[in-house]
Amino acid sequence: MKRNVWIVGSLAIICAFVFVFATGCAKTPVVKEEVALQEGESVIATAETAPAKVEEKEVVAQPKEEAKKVVEDTSMKEKELWERLLAEASDFKNRDIYFAFDRYDLNAKSRDNLTKLADWLLVNTEFEVTIEGHCDERGTTEYNLALGERRAEAAKAYVVNLGVDIGKVSTISYGEELPVDPGHNEAAWSKNRRDHFLVYPSKK
Amino acid sequence: MLRKSVGLMMSIFILFWSSTVWSKVYIDINAPGFQKYPIAVTDFKNIGTTDDRENLSVWFSYQLSRYLKLTGFFNVINKGAFLEDPEQAGITIEGINFSDWSTIGADFLIKGGFDSDGKALSAEFRIFDVVEGRLIVGKRYEDTMEKRKLMVLKFIDEILLALTGERGVFNTRIAFVAKDRDVSEIYTINFDGTDLIKRTRLESLTMFPQWSPDGRQIFFTSYLNGNPDSYIMNLETKRVREVTSFRGLNMASAWSPDGSKLLLVLSRDGNEEIYVKDVENGGLRRLTNNPAIDVSPTWSPDGSMIAFVSNRSGSPQIFTMDSDGRGTSRLTYEGSYNTSPSWSPRGKRIAYEGATNGRFQIFSIDDDGGNFVQLTFERGGGESPSWSPGGMYVTFVSTIDGKKKICIINSNGLNLRVLGSPGRSFSLDSPSWSPRLNLY
Repeated sequence: MKRNVWIVGSLAIICAFVFVFATGCAKTPVVKEEVALQEGESVIATAETAPAKVEEKEVVAQPKEEAKKVVEDTSMKEKELWERLLAEASDFKNRDIYFAFDRYDLNAKSRDNLTKLADWLLVNTEFEVTIEGHCDERGTTEYNLALGERRAEAAKAYVVNLGVDIGKVSTISYGEELPVDPGHNEAAWSKNRRDHFLVYPSKK
Repeated sequence: MLRKSVGLMMSIFILFWSSTVWSKVYIDINAPGFQKYPIAVTDFKNIGTTDDRENLSVWFSYQLSRYLKLTGFFNVINKGAFLEDPEQAGITIEGINFSDWSTIGADFLIKGGFDSDGKALSAEFRIFDVVEGRLIVGKRYEDTMEKRKLMVLKFIDEILLALTGERGVFNTRIAFVAKDRDVSEIYTINFDGTDLIKRTRLESLTMFPQWSPDGRQIFFTSYLNGNPDSYIMNLETKRVREVTSFRGLNMASAWSPDGSKLLLVLSRDGNEEIYVKDVENGGLRRLTNNPAIDVSPTWSPDGSMIAFVSNRSGSPQIFTMDSDGRGTSRLTYEGSYNTSPSWSPRGKRIAYEGATNGRFQIFSIDDDGGNFVQLTFERGGGESPSWSPGGMYVTFVSTIDGKKKICIINSNGLNLRVLGSPGRSFSLDSPSWSPRLNLY
């Protein structure tokens, strides 16, 4: 997995380099003009007369308004996109994976869920995940705290193996302390033997 | 069937032994099938000159009866059945007609007297063997009226010492966790069910309370900083200090009998292992080295060995090892799921919880693996056992009316008693029996 990242990265760097080089050589005059525009005020102060100043101002004014509108549109889109991502992240709370009694191995459905989680995290790298491990109420609190940790770590190992940055995956066990169903039967217990996923933006 | 023959063998062994050492062994607290002893307690006689304004006469017999019942070894005979005329009879052997008592089925008789001017108090207590017509033990206490409860408890201790070889545990408390929704706190309650005290106000998940051997501190785990970290709380100052906060689990497990070391379970090295930490210099040493889950370590009473839970053989079972981590050996072979070991202060037995018939019950086993006995048969099961000082009682968790409650049972499996709770919405867990304290 890491090698792929290296290859893509290197290619990207090479491309960027080529692009800069190519464009740089051809467009030197344009760069000079752009520089002149930005330095408009100071140039006016020295040699050019007022009319030139006005012209420059008008020329400058329009791009600013257009730029402003473009920026506004972009920021609206960015905001919508971000909210959509937050919603997607939050939706992982509804996709617990389940375990058999006293076990922490992942079944096919669990692996499927985890693959989808990994894919999402690989694309949306500004997010990270905390995996909570839980147990049903049977057995001692101590043993269940350890079992919950095993369940969380099993899911973590799976997504990290798929390429997710290990620094973006943390685990915590709650043992039997926080069941979703307080019932005392297998129907309740099977709902409690789970990993729960909290996906959220990384703090900068 | 096995139990009966084991019990019979044990009783015979003890009787044989006792004829060469003790004058008589009354109560073998470990013998299964033990019946409660019928005992009569008479109102105390005013042997002083002042009027009995406080009604001490009835107070003493009432308190003695109450505590005798709580020990779980006695059936206190109703006063209405008494034949003796209290005006005529005395409180010493000369003034007692034992046939009055054997007729109504009493095996033991308690008589006493007091002399008080309202401030100072002198009290005499005597317990007689009705069948043999002789005094077992008598005591006189002289102190103030305020100390009268202590006098009663001291005499109860003398009775138990004479009859069972162990003192009572009225001067002990049980710490436990009470959970409501997603907050759990540590509470303590006296052996007799009085004095429920809330000890932590951390407003998070709090677990595994473990007493220090001097009864002054409690070692525990809490999520108060977002991760299960371990802490020690001083019960007097109420201050809480952090012990370990490694990545992963920091499970508080046990305080060594000499107070110098703590056992914990940490998963910082990638999987759950048992560690020992020096209280004084903070040094940490890993004891287990195994990819399996290793949890719930507990010391033997002399601190030389550790019992713990491991699933290294495929399912959770109890193991023992030396206190330095060597010499690991499996203890439990019956049943597919055995956890939560607690080593009896008498040194020879280990109580634990085992899965049977679809639920968990409390079992006990010799520390070398023999004499495996089921202790609880409750519909609500039995989990998380902890022995009393002296090994006469075991406290454990059972589900009653849908909620987990703290229970006490005699070490022979009889006389179940349910302790109080902070409220109906609470679920209780992780009971831990204190050492003997200065309560009275």
